[in-house]
Amino acid sequence: MDRDGAIYLLFSLMVPIMVFVLLGDFGGGIYSLIAIALTLLTVLLIVGMNWADFVIFPAFTSLLGVSFQPSAGYKIPKQQNAIVKEVNGLYYATGYLTANMYSYTFKIESAEQDDEYKMISAPENWERIVSNIGFPMKFHVLASGLDVQKVRDDLEGRRSYQEFQLARAMQGSNPEVAVTDIQRKINTIQAKIDRISQGERPIAALMYLETSAIGISEKEALDSLGYQVDQIKVAFSSMDLSINRIAGRELYYLFKYNFALPSHYGEMAQSFDTQG
Amino acid sequence: MNQKAVTFVSLLIASAVVVGIAAMLPISLVPGYGKAVLLLVGLALDFLAFTSRYYSYLLGPMIKQRKKPVILSKENAYWLSPSSDSIMRKENETFVSTVYVSIPVYSSATEMSDEQKLNFVNQVSRLVSTAKDPTRFTTQLYVMNKDAAIQTIRAAQNDAETEEARLVQSNAKQSEVERAKGKSSMWRGMMDNIGSVTSYELFSYACVSASGMKEFEASSLAQQKAKELMAAIGATFGVSPSIVTGTELLKLVEPEYLIPVSTMHEKINKDIQEEVI
Repeated sequence: MDRDGAIYLLFSLMVPIMVFVLLGDFGGGIYSLIAIALTLLTVLLIVGMNWADFVIFPAFTSLLGVSFQPSAGYKIPKQQNAIVKEVNGLYYATGYLTANMYSYTFKIESAEQDDEYKMISAPENWERIVSNIGFPMKFHVLASGLDVQKVRDDLEGRRSYQEFQLARAMQGSNPEVAVTDIQRKINTIQAKIDRISQGERPIAALMYLETSAIGISEKEALDSLGYQVDQIKVAFSSMDLSINRIAGRELYYLFKYNFALPSHYGEMAQSFDTQG
Repeated sequence: MNQKAVTFVSLLIASAVVVGIAAMLPISLVPGYGKAVLLLVGLALDFLAFTSRYYSYLLGPMIKQRKKPVILSKENAYWLSPSSDSIMRKENETFVSTVYVSIPVYSSATEMSDEQKLNFVNQVSRLVSTAKDPTRFTTQLYVMNKDAAIQTIRAAQNDAETEEARLVQSNAKQSEVERAKGKSSMWRGMMDNIGSVTSYELFSYACVSASGMKEFEASSLAQQKAKELMAAIGATFGVSPSIVTGTELLKLVEPEYLIPVSTMHEKINKDIQEEVI
């Protein structure tokens, strides 16, 4: 959790704490029990919202039947998992899915045999998916350069911590597996530092898929979209990716990014911290 | 303080006040169930306060409008710049211009050796790592717009049929007549087949955005960034990228260009005909 998140969580939990302190003033007996139940439910919802807002908030809007108009001509239905546009009586539904392909495109350290095989097979797998998919689809990589010095300092700090852990593990009677694991982590961090030293710029990347479906009614378009999303999940299973349908605020930001990208990395990171 | 923080603080204070009132009011004035209702309202406000961290853009309009659908913006999502080489959007008082650059890479994995495949993956990785400011790299698969193709085939079919009629009338050699017949039959077959299947095209591109207080400022900054991006794409893949303009640009942002209506109508009609038959 980032600093902002911690501040929001801390201040929001002050009210439930206040209720517990004033518990006796809510009427006593059954009313105190009701107050406890309501407060615990609120705490549960707040904590849940912190980790899975993309589940809780769309559930609320579905319950209340609230849909949104993000721009003229577009609509976000109450489930908040698609963008719908109507053109001349035809409905176009667009949905987004997470698709992190880091293991394919970004080497963590020198590619081992398995990683190399994975990367060699990636272009062929991709072509097979594209030629068999049978509906419109987009694969996006939203990348942004990071502050070199900041990343380097962070990596050096992490390397020092792992070296300290290694020294402790060597002194104690830790199993060899634990020592090897720490050494592997140090190698990974060192490889990253070396790449930065060689002039490579560290980047943050967000990868996602987009697909659009057509229908003569909104429901038909959304149903077709649901089918396409399932098809994409099956098609990409050969690439061993974690693919989830995006809902809630992240869908809204991805819609906005279709027309204007975020101005800096901070904005991009703030918009995506759960489903990406 | 930004709008998000103002919403959070306001809702949090409202929540604390309502909970405080529920606790402080004497039981003789407000019965127990009244206090429970006030507490429920106070805690709901607290939940909304936390929710505003993620959904401040929705909560304000939701509370103000209290109707469905909640309108977040009545403005168009974007407009094309006068030169048709970028799309513009206004966010608060700032103009944001986005330029799209094509990545004309036409190699196929089926023609590559293992070493070439590995190199290709590394090239993609290198291209993505050239991004300084937020940059989006996209590969899109979209329905081919067959309107132009249909017109071309129709014109070719007419030409072939005219040629065939001319040769028959002028008592030309049998071999030439047969060749003309074959040609017109080929175009007729193509015409019948074109609507029966949906064809797809694959297109790769990258885009960058820049903002400015004036439209031309944003546009020229975005063009500058696009030129840097084009240089990076050229250096990585050894190709000549270009800025996407006009209708081609709409294919990248509008779903109705991704799935062209006329082509889809033809496909739907063909499907219905097949079902009826």
